[in-house]
Amino acid sequence: MIARLLELAQRGADGGADALWRRVERTTVAFEWGRLKAAASTEEAGVNLRVRHRGRVGVAGTTAVGGGDAGAQHAAPLLERALASAELGEEVDLVFPPPASLPPLTTFFARAADASLDHLIEIGDSLLNRLAREGCRVNVAIDRETTATRVANTAGAAGEYRATSVSVSADVWRIAGDDVLVVSDGLDGGDLPSDDALATLVASINARLDHALRIVAPPDGAMPVIFTPAGLSALMLPVTQALSGKAVLQGISPLGAKRGEQVFDARLSLTDDALRLGRPGSRPLDDECAPSRTTCLVERGVVHRFIYDLETAARAQAQSTGHGQRGIFGKPVPAYTNVILTSDSDTQRVGAPHAAPLPLGGGLLDDIKDGLLVDELIGVGQGNVIGGAFSHPVALAYRIERGEITGRVKDAAVAGNAYELWKRVATFGADARWTGSRWAPSVLFDGVSVARR
Amino acid sequence: MIDRLAAALRRSRADYVEIRVERTWSTAVTFRGRRLESATASEDQGGFVRALHAGGGGGGGGWGVASFTSLDRLDAMVDRAGELSRAVRVDPPIRLADVAPHHADVQLDLDGDVRGVSLAEKKRLLQAYNGAMLGVSDRIVDTLAVYRDEVSEYWYVNSQGTVLHELRPEVTLSGTAVARRDGTIEKGLESIGLRRGWKSVQDKAAGFREVAERAVQLLDAPMVTGGTYPVILDPELAGVFIHEAFGHLSEADFVYENPQAREMMTVGRRFGKPVLNVGDNGAAAGLRGTLPFDDEGTPTQDTTLIKDGILVGRLHSRETAAAMGERPTGNARAISFRHAPIVRMTNTYIAGGRGGETFEDLIRDVKLGVYACGAFGGQTMLENFSFTAAYGRMIRDGHVAELVKDVVLAGNLFQTLDRIDHIAADFRWNQMGGGCGKGGQYPLPVTEGAPHVRIEEALIGGDVPG
Repeated sequence: MIARLLELAQRGADGGADALWRRVERTTVAFEWGRLKAAASTEEAGVNLRVRHRGRVGVAGTTAVGGGDAGAQHAAPLLERALASAELGEEVDLVFPPPASLPPLTTFFARAADASLDHLIEIGDSLLNRLAREGCRVNVAIDRETTATRVANTAGAAGEYRATSVSVSADVWRIAGDDVLVVSDGLDGGDLPSDDALATLVASINARLDHALRIVAPPDGAMPVIFTPAGLSALMLPVTQALSGKAVLQGISPLGAKRGEQVFDARLSLTDDALRLGRPGSRPLDDECAPSRTTCLVERGVVHRFIYDLETAARAQAQSTGHGQRGIFGKPVPAYTNVILTSDSDTQRVGAPHAAPLPLGGGLLDDIKDGLLVDELIGVGQGNVIGGAFSHPVALAYRIERGEITGRVKDAAVAGNAYELWKRVATFGADARWTGSRWAPSVLFDGVSVARR
Repeated sequence: MIDRLAAALRRSRADYVEIRVERTWSTAVTFRGRRLESATASEDQGGFVRALHAGGGGGGGGWGVASFTSLDRLDAMVDRAGELSRAVRVDPPIRLADVAPHHADVQLDLDGDVRGVSLAEKKRLLQAYNGAMLGVSDRIVDTLAVYRDEVSEYWYVNSQGTVLHELRPEVTLSGTAVARRDGTIEKGLESIGLRRGWKSVQDKAAGFREVAERAVQLLDAPMVTGGTYPVILDPELAGVFIHEAFGHLSEADFVYENPQAREMMTVGRRFGKPVLNVGDNGAAAGLRGTLPFDDEGTPTQDTTLIKDGILVGRLHSRETAAAMGERPTGNARAISFRHAPIVRMTNTYIAGGRGGETFEDLIRDVKLGVYACGAFGGQTMLENFSFTAAYGRMIRDGHVAELVKDVVLAGNLFQTLDRIDHIAADFRWNQMGGGCGKGGQYPLPVTEGAPHVRIEEALIGGDVPG
C-alpha cells in the first residue's frame, strides 16, 4: 500500500512524504494463578503517513487498510487528513533521507515464527512446574510476535524487514497475612528462549524468593547500596531522558550543555545499539528510513551524543541518529532501541546469554558490613524524573550484613540524586544481563540515603 | 453490522462466544511551548472475539481470544477463537455467572459532536489554554498542552442473546506548565476528562492559568520536611488514593483463585473506622467511567465496597463472580478491541462524611500537619503505596499556612486506611484525563471522587537529607 500512497502523496505534498506500514501477528498464552487460562491471537495492520507541504509537516494514521495490500480507497482520505494536519502545523525544515545501504541484520527467526501453540504452552508449563511452591501462586505469560514492516519516502529511500520476538514473564505471589510478596522476572529475545535461559529465569526468581521469606529490620542512614540490574531503573531513567535530543531541544535536559564534558564516573559508558543480534529492539533501519547503527551516548563518563529522530534533528540543526520510532497513530518520536551500560571491566561479554545463574548481588556483597540491596522501587518514573532527584519506598529490597543477605526489608525508602550517584560509583557487578531493553550489571554506590519508616 | 455479527456468531460451535467491534474517529492536538507539535486525525477500527468450549469429561476449554483490525477476517477469527479455546484445557472449567440478555441501542450525550468541529478550531481552543499558562510569567519556560477527542461506535453481541450498539464520546484536555529559575524546576498539571463533547471543554482557561501560577509559586516554596504528620488529602488526592491503594485490591481477579489473597480480602473484615464508606459506581450520571454496560454486556451499577469501615463487596466480571458465588457487578472492561475484558474500576469514590464536617473542621485541632493537594502520580505495590502530591500546604495551629513542595505520601495501605479519622461532607468527582492502567491496558477512562479526608498520622517525604 505505501508505494501507491507515496505516489499519491508526491502529487499532493510539495515537500515530499514518508510512510510506515506495519503488520503484527501475536500469539499469547496466559497462565493465571497457577493454571493455563487463555490463548489469544492478534492480527493487526496499519499505516502512518507523514507529509511536508508548504514547509509544514502533518501526519495521519489508520488501521482501515483492508485485508491484504489493497487499500487504494483508503489512501486518498489518509492523504487528505495528513494534508489537513500539515496545514495547521508549524514550519519544519525536515528533509527525507535519500536511499542508503542498510546494515545486514537477522531479525527473523523461523523457529520462533513457526513455534506451535502447544510448544508455547509447554514452555509455560515447564516454568510453572519449576516455580511452584507451597503457599505461593504463579502467573506466567508467553508472547510470540511476528512483525512485517515497510517504510519508504519520496526521496527514494525504502526498507522492509520481518522480525520475530518472544517474551516470557513470570511472577510468584506469596501472601501471608497482610504481607504481600511478589517476585517477578522475564526474558525476551528475537528467538525462542534456550533451556539455559529459562533455567536462569527460574533460578533468578527462586533466589530472590528464598532470601525474601525472612523479614528483617531496615537499616537507616547513609550506607552502601547495591542496585540490581532491575533496581537500576530509578538511576537510569533520568539519564536516558536527559540524553534524548528532544529534552535537550526543550531546554529541560540537565545534560543538554554538557556534551564533551566528564559528568559521570570514568568507568561508565552507555551505548544504544540497534544492531544487537537477537534483541527485539533491533532493526536494520528506523521508522523514518535512517539506517540503524550503534550510537555511543556516554563514553567513559563523558557525554558523547544525544539521540534524534528526523524532526527533532531538524529543529536542533543536528543529524538523525536513526532513533525515529512511530506507531500507527501520531508522529515519530526519538526512542532508544537497546541501551547498554558497560564498565571497563566487562566490555567483551556484552549481550551474551548466561550459561549459569547469576548470584544475587553480582559479587558485590563481600565487603559490605551493613547495607541494602535494591531490586525494585515504588513510584519510579513519577514526578520530575529528569531532574535526577528521587525518593522511593522499596518494593523489594534486602539487607546486607557482614557480606551476606540476611533477609527482606520492608518499610524503607531510598533517596538521592541520580546524576550525583553516577559520579561516584563504588563498584560495577559481574552480573550484567538484559532487563527489558537495557543491559546492565548490578552497581554498588556508597553513602546512599536509606530511611526507615 | 449487527446482522453480520449475528451471522458470525452462528458459525461458531463454541458454547459461549462474544464479539465486539469498534470504529473510532479521534483527533489530537499537542502544543509544546509556543509551538504546535502536532494536530492529527486518526481512524481506528477492529474486532474482538472470545470463545469458550465446555468440553467433555473433566474440565473444559480455556478462553480462546482473537483480535484483528481487518473486518474481512471476522469469520476466520471467530473460528480461530474457537480453536484456541479447544487447545487450552482448564480444570475445573471456567464458568460464567448468569446475566440476563439485553438489547440496547444507546447514544450517549455527544454534547456538541466533536466530529463536526474542524481541526483548526480545536487547535485554536488549545492554543488559548496553552497561552493562558505561558502568559502567567516569564518563569514559565515550557508547557505541554494536549487536546484529544474521540467518538467510538461500538457493537457487542454474545451467544446468549445480548445485542448492544452504542455511540460513545470522550474528550480530554491536559496542560503541564514548567517553571524554572536557575537549577530549580517545578511543574503544574491541569487535567480534564469527560465522556462528552465539544461544548463541555469551553471556558476552561482559568484552570490552566492556576496550575501555571502555582508552578511559579513552587519555585519559592521550601521542600516539606519529611516526617510523620496528621495529613489532610484534598478531594483529588483522596480520590487517587482510594483508587490506587484500595480499589485495585477490590478487583476480584486478584482474589478469586488465590486463597491467601481471598483471606486478606475477606468480606466482613474491618478496613477502617466507621466514618469510611467506599464504592464504585459505573452508572453514575455523566462521568468518564460511566457506561450503560460493561464489555461483557452486564449492566453497570453502584457497588458498595466498604460500608462503615467494613469490607462488604468487590468488583466482578462474570467469571470471577461465578467462581466466588457472588453477583456480577458490571466491571469487566477492555480499553479497546485489542484487549479482553478484565476486572476494572469505573468511578470509584470515598463517600462524603455524614457528619456534615467541613475542611475547617478537619484542620481545627491540627497543631502541625500537611494539607496534600492534587496528584502528580501514584503507584501501589499492593499493601505499599507512594503518591506524589502536586503541592502541599503546612497546617499550623488549625490554619492553612505556607506552600510546600515535594510532598510524597507513602505508607502501608491497611494502616493508612485505618488511620482515616475524619471525612468532610464536601464530596466531589474529579473529572480528570489520563486513565487507569492494568494488565497492559492503559488508559482506561475512570473517574475518582472524594471529599477532604484526614489521616491522623501518615509519612510524608522520603526523608532526603540535605
